[in-house]
Amino acid sequence: MTTAIDRLERIVGRSLRIGVATSSVALAAGLLLAVFGDDRVAAVLLHAGVVILLATPVARVLISIVEYARERDWPFVALTVIVLVELMASAVAALFFNRQVK
Amino acid sequence: MPTVTPTLAGIIFVAGVFAGGLGGLLGLGGGIFLVPFLNLALGLPFPAAAAISLTTVIATSSSVSAARSKNQVINLRLGMLLEVATAAGSFLGGVTAQLVATTTLQRLFGFAAIAVAMITMVRLNRRNVILDPTADTGLLGGRFFEKESRAVVSYRIKRLPLALIASFVAGNLSSLLGIGGGIIKVPVLNAWCGMPLRAAAATSAFMIGVTATAGAVIYYGHGQLVPVLAAAAVLGVQLGSWGGLHFGVHAPVKWLKVLMVVMLLVVAAMMFMKSQ
Repeated sequence: MTTAIDRLERIVGRSLRIGVATSSVALAAGLLLAVFGDDRVAAVLLHAGVVILLATPVARVLISIVEYARERDWPFVALTVIVLVELMASAVAALFFNRQVK
Repeated sequence: MPTVTPTLAGIIFVAGVFAGGLGGLLGLGGGIFLVPFLNLALGLPFPAAAAISLTTVIATSSSVSAARSKNQVINLRLGMLLEVATAAGSFLGGVTAQLVATTTLQRLFGFAAIAVAMITMVRLNRRNVILDPTADTGLLGGRFFEKESRAVVSYRIKRLPLALIASFVAGNLSSLLGIGGGIIKVPVLNAWCGMPLRAAAATSAFMIGVTATAGAVIYYGHGQLVPVLAAAAVLGVQLGSWGGLHFGVHAPVKWLKVLMVVMLLVVAAMMFMKSQ
């Protein structure tokens, strides 16, 4: 039991670290370019940085679903799936608003 | 909406360093300081300020949780269970934020700041730890190595429905106001649900990434998040909270709490004046 918790903790920690590091690099590069250089490349990098930042917790939830399924911990598979559905609902709501504004 | 200039980005970066630093010192995300600064001092619309603050919350949550993901101080099972409530709360908050008047949001922020100031003043510092590392922790409890006790300690979770309600409310305020919401969950988990402060703070910090994402996605989709300003704020907060965490170890806790109460009351007063 303890080893399964350790494993999940390690994998979750690694995915968060990779996500936040990648997005910080993209945001820093985009910010520097926006100030000193090419606006179009800057915009791409900045949006990529924001999207990676927003995707990191979603990826973490996905990984948790897979890991709980591996452990056959079905109640927690169900709970993490509900969290994923709620995040998706927010994304759908975001698209809906986007269409209303533009 | 002020025009986006390098100067504005620079100011927001510095503001992020201060908000992140204060947050790191006090064990908060820093959104409670960043949102009023962006909204009141720089004149950004409230939704734009909240959206920027939420991106910094996600970054702080991810980096702090990555650093803490050993020794089981984060209670992953409880965190993922409470996320069901907090994500629902922030989804609803994100949707209603588009429908509620800015003055209402500012007033709500003022009340939240006063509530936090009061909780900080009377904060119970119960430790909640069971020193026997083999004690039965129940389905959702946990055990971790606690520095103060220099040993592995255990705890049990009490009043789970209360923890779920607090998480829902925290999620709701989070996306409405652009704060992490740890300010509501940590005191409740610590004072009423049996969690040691360290585990409550770590588990809350872990959850606010998901909470803030549910809210931030809606602002982003609505075109209210200015990526270049978010970048400046995220990088500033990352730097500041790193510094705050390192200096926070040496700073006297009592002085910090008084500083926080004073700042929160100033923020509340400014929000109320603005909402007239």
